[in-house]
Amino acid sequence: MPNITLSHVSKSYDSLAPAISDLDLVVRDGEFMCLLGPSGCGKSTTLRVIAGLENLSTGEIMIGGRVLDSRDQGIFVPPEQRGAGLVFQSYALWPHLTVERNVSFGLRLRKVPAEEREERVGFVMETLGIEQFRDRYPSQLSGGQQQRVALARMLVIEPDVLLLDEPLSNLDAKLRLKMRAELKRIHGEFGTTIVFVTHDQWEAMTLSTRIAVMNEGSLQQVGSPDEIYNSPANLFVAEFVGNPPINMVPVTAGHDMELSLTLGEYMVRSFPGVDNVGSLGLRPESIRLSVSKPSGNSRCLTSHATVAGILPTGGNWIVELDKGGSPLFVSTNVSPEFNVGEMVYFQVDHSRIHLFDLDGIRVSYEND
Amino acid sequence: MKEKSDLMPSQLAEHDKSTSSTGMSRSACLNYHFKVGWREPTAIIGALMVVLFAYLVIVPIVTLMHDAVEVQFGDARRAKSEVGAWTFYYLNRTLASPISQILFWEPLAHTLSVATGVILISLSIGVPLAWLLSRSDMYGRRWFATALIVPYMLPSWTFALAWRTLFRNRTVGGQQGWLENLGFTPPDWLAYGQVPITIILALHYAPFVILLFGNALRSFDSQLEESARILGAKSGTVAFQIIFPLLLPSLLSATILIFAKCIGEFGVNYLLGLPVDYNVLATSLYRSISSRQSGVAAVLAGAIMLIGIISLLVDARLVRESRRFVTVGGKGAMSRNSPLGFYRLLATVFAALVFLISVGIPLLVLVLSTVMKVPADFSVENFTLDYWIGRNLETVALRTGILLTPDLWMAAWNTLRIVGFASLCSGLLGLLVGYVVVRSRVRWISSFLRHVTFFPYLVPGIAFAVAYLSLFAVQRGPIPALYGTGLILILALTADQMPYSSRAGISAMMQLGKDPEEAAQMTGAGWLRRMTSIVIPIQKGALVTGTLLPFISGIKGLSLFVVLAVPTTDVLTTYSLRLIDNNYTQAANAVVLIIAAMAYFGTLAVQNVTKTNLADGLGG
Repeated sequence: MPNITLSHVSKSYDSLAPAISDLDLVVRDGEFMCLLGPSGCGKSTTLRVIAGLENLSTGEIMIGGRVLDSRDQGIFVPPEQRGAGLVFQSYALWPHLTVERNVSFGLRLRKVPAEEREERVGFVMETLGIEQFRDRYPSQLSGGQQQRVALARMLVIEPDVLLLDEPLSNLDAKLRLKMRAELKRIHGEFGTTIVFVTHDQWEAMTLSTRIAVMNEGSLQQVGSPDEIYNSPANLFVAEFVGNPPINMVPVTAGHDMELSLTLGEYMVRSFPGVDNVGSLGLRPESIRLSVSKPSGNSRCLTSHATVAGILPTGGNWIVELDKGGSPLFVSTNVSPEFNVGEMVYFQVDHSRIHLFDLDGIRVSYEND
Repeated sequence: MKEKSDLMPSQLAEHDKSTSSTGMSRSACLNYHFKVGWREPTAIIGALMVVLFAYLVIVPIVTLMHDAVEVQFGDARRAKSEVGAWTFYYLNRTLASPISQILFWEPLAHTLSVATGVILISLSIGVPLAWLLSRSDMYGRRWFATALIVPYMLPSWTFALAWRTLFRNRTVGGQQGWLENLGFTPPDWLAYGQVPITIILALHYAPFVILLFGNALRSFDSQLEESARILGAKSGTVAFQIIFPLLLPSLLSATILIFAKCIGEFGVNYLLGLPVDYNVLATSLYRSISSRQSGVAAVLAGAIMLIGIISLLVDARLVRESRRFVTVGGKGAMSRNSPLGFYRLLATVFAALVFLISVGIPLLVLVLSTVMKVPADFSVENFTLDYWIGRNLETVALRTGILLTPDLWMAAWNTLRIVGFASLCSGLLGLLVGYVVVRSRVRWISSFLRHVTFFPYLVPGIAFAVAYLSLFAVQRGPIPALYGTGLILILALTADQMPYSSRAGISAMMQLGKDPEEAAQMTGAGWLRRMTSIVIPIQKGALVTGTLLPFISGIKGLSLFVVLAVPTTDVLTTYSLRLIDNNYTQAANAVVLIIAAMAYFGTLAVQNVTKTNLADGLGG
């Protein structure tokens, strides 16, 4: 199966800021690609232009070598001829057709012989565990079951690429977890290229082979879940991924809070030759806490602060520190042995510290 | 077309640069537009509908406006100009000449004073009833909730006929009124003119207030009220500072809707105003058509239209205002019912009295009048079924009972044929409009369709009918003169019903959304397949509603038909009016009862089938 190539893709609706602008993205064959971003960032629009439900304002979309949409070349291939499948956030099951009819619709359309049709529909429904509902109507199914029917309906036509628009967002937490595992299994089993839209970073982290982070219509970073988490390309990616969110501390002149000064001093000392840094990012889970002064090597950031709050989250704790009036959040799985109001030491490894320049772009140093 | 405007200025420049560099890209660009915008029949259907509705809605109104300022056939000498020349003659005659007092100003004053009276009375009946029905523990609330809106389901002039049957005096000929027969001669002011017109219309439109105000009361979140109380507000403060301001938009909305309806009201004014020369705008308009003063008629119709448009625009504004409140509401619907205590019985008696006066007595009188030879004589030998099923009666004409008269069946068949066909058309067109509005990629088409199909709502039926008359009275281009055919009625009725059916269609398509159809598209279905396998089957219910509701309102409609129908295209309403004009009181009453029964049971059936409430179809 071929790659999907989006080059310089823009889409704008009347008189509004463009929904997506100048997007370059290649989805490789067999990949599970997540488009991740806050709502309104253009990820669903990206999916819809790939599907052909929207046309481009400028740019080009290709699958393999075949141009699907290009204003300059006067080419627009309608959605029904693109060989893509799309599972809607609302599932969009046809309420007047039974489950079996819903699933077999595409095959009937293609005039697939009844015998083969039965076989293919049967196989997909069995794989997804919905064969016992074949004669029911969508309104008689639970959300998770409807979701599977929507998926089966697209899988059965064996699309070149399967597009999923926040398919898990309408499910409850438990079911979501189950369907996540299911999706991963289906991806392995069918080997289909999947483009998956979500605003849920955990979903993106757990499912995808690569993540494309978007914001305000433009692409922020494309990379493996690890890359996105460990080397965020800019402030937006760093702040969007991670829960609780990363602590961002400005270290430019003019920020004279104690925390800024401490970190600024540390930066000058530990990152010689790196200049133009605007802020430091500390992930809550990379901060270690201790009651007594930790030894650690000299390259670690070590300082102390007052405990301002302890929030148990069931097995984990979020500790809010106060360093001279600035907050610092720490996430730990060790039961805190201190109380609110006491002083604690905190320490972060040199390699776990993220640097961003004045424009919010990641600054790399020799550790990277 | 939206393609150009799709681009931001900077992109546009870039876009132009790239097109000029690639040489053949101008045609490529056109090609692209074509593929994106006109690839599917949606756009073509949209374009056809634009043409259709421009012709059915805009052209008649433009023609009407034109008639008002152009010398009409036969008026050349009086207007001191040639036929077809521009003239202020009609405007002058209607608005500023010595005769303008009779033609326009007096009817306008009458119209406004009737409307004011109607609004005052219907508010003072409707508001307490709405409150009793939705927020009190009055006896029989459920029953009253349906019973009290019956007047709205029936044609308004049903009650005018009942009034005539009761109060008719010697000012007009024909059968005597009941009161007169009992020895009491009602004075003219009670029998005809402003007083009865106001009372009847007020009773007819009070359900508007009950429905709109009642809805607002029911959806009123009592937590708002309770928060005020918890903060220590007295009940007077709560009522005036919290409840009243929030409910004001619904009251104003009801007021304006009633006003707009009163402006176009014809039947009641015709039946009760004519005998004492009490003219309102609608009857003055009817007179000028009857006397072939089409220029004056055009001016009058324009005036009625203008008043209708202005008042409904004001209403649209208010509704938008009230939406702003609604979004604050949250879950609401936690209304408490106030115990009435001692007044419980009194309130129930009040509601029962309103029901008796607005429904019970009028219908009873009408029914009795059709089975009694001499009015108000209750002896057994005075009762007869002759007027319904009699044969060889000793009358000059109409020598059989109404049910045995072929004319009735022809009128009934015409009603079914004309109203039925028009309703089917508007139902289908409504759904198509909904589809194009939701799906068209060419944005101006959808916004044009949305507005143009709603426009007839702003134009009172009688003015709309006059517009059709002026357009189709003569041959224009390839379209022959349609006056006197059933087709003109079908066209006018279809256009007149479009506001309801297109709104039904649009909301049904909006509710369905694009997703189910796009899902079919993703599985590879082309346009035709998507329509036949997905969209139409899902929208079956909406289609039925969009057809039945216009059908019911069409059955009881009068003002459109009275202008456009001729004896061969008589429908039940115009037939009954002809019977009245010829003083066949019993027969006319019988026909009106048949219409009322059809409208009433039809409405109930629709409500049952669609599980909706009449209230949803109102106002808004």
